Amino acid sequence: MFIENPLNSSELIFPTLEVCHILGFTVTLGTIAAVDFRVLGLGLRRQKVADLARDLAPWTLAGLVSLLLSGPLMFSSDPDMYYLNRAFQLKMVCLLAAIVFHYTAHRKMVGSDKPGASAKLLASLSLMLWAGVIFGGIFIGFA
Amino acid sequence: MSALLKFAQWLQFTTIPTELRGSWYVYPVVLSLHLVFIAIFGGMIFLTNLRLLGLGLRRYSIGDVINQLRWPKRIGFLLVFTCGALLASSKAEEYYYNAFFWAKMSLLLLVFVHGLVFRSSLYRNTEALDKLPSTPGVVKLAAALSLLLWTGVAICGRGIGYIEPPVDKLHAALFH
Repeated sequence: MFIENPLNSSELIFPTLEVCHILGFTVTLGTIAAVDFRVLGLGLRRQKVADLARDLAPWTLAGLVSLLLSGPLMFSSDPDMYYLNRAFQLKMVCLLAAIVFHYTAHRKMVGSDKPGASAKLLASLSLMLWAGVIFGGIFIGFA
Repeated sequence: MSALLKFAQWLQFTTIPTELRGSWYVYPVVLSLHLVFIAIFGGMIFLTNLRLLGLGLRRYSIGDVINQLRWPKRIGFLLVFTCGALLASSKAEEYYYNAFFWAKMSLLLLVFVHGLVFRSSLYRNTEALDKLPSTPGVVKLAAALSLLLWTGVAICGRGIGYIEPPVDKLHAALFH
């Protein structure tokens, strides 16, 4: 017996979730990128890395929460398709890696008083991981 | 037939847009880059407006945020725009009939107007603003309008993909 997903009852719900998802990753990735570019010496250079990271952390988290609400809801509209989709699988691997990395090595890097030479490497890795998540998300529709 | 439609039909068969349609992966790669740059560029707009509304980054001056992000934003917009123009050119004729595409372009025009309208009171006035005890209402209005306009751009951008192309009128089709 199938239970009808109420998400599929209106044509407007899915695109609305997509827009929430786009705005959510703009806030999450945007705030993370601002810190990463700062580490790389671009953008808000007059601010300390640690200050900037601390000030933006709540917004990064707020965006992440909206992503982790809208994402699974979209997934629920057609779980079989997503589960078997190679791009979706890749996206989930990148996402897990990006989140774990962000709250471990990345957090340690931006929190230290003097980010060392490895900081630029970590900032680049952060940008690439999050870009990977977006690539995975887009390719879901093309895989 | 309008000159614009003729231009769209010509444009979509030039070399690069044709290449974009002809491969299964080039289009989604450019689309992904479009969104990666949107996240970075949109993030900078978000940060600026957060500061103007007094909701974040309050320990930095308005001038610090606006002036340091001016060039990164310009570069960011150029990257977003380049990817967007490539995507649109590959489907130029289809987009000619797409209401969301035109709504998006109109909103982008309004974003440009917004920048001009608040140029002297906000974007080129940061030194005076930072001397005031509190942020004037007009600055907060500008920030709220900016967020509203860009959210509208995002909504219309996503909406483009939801309009069924008038297949009988088109002269080019995407690969997939």
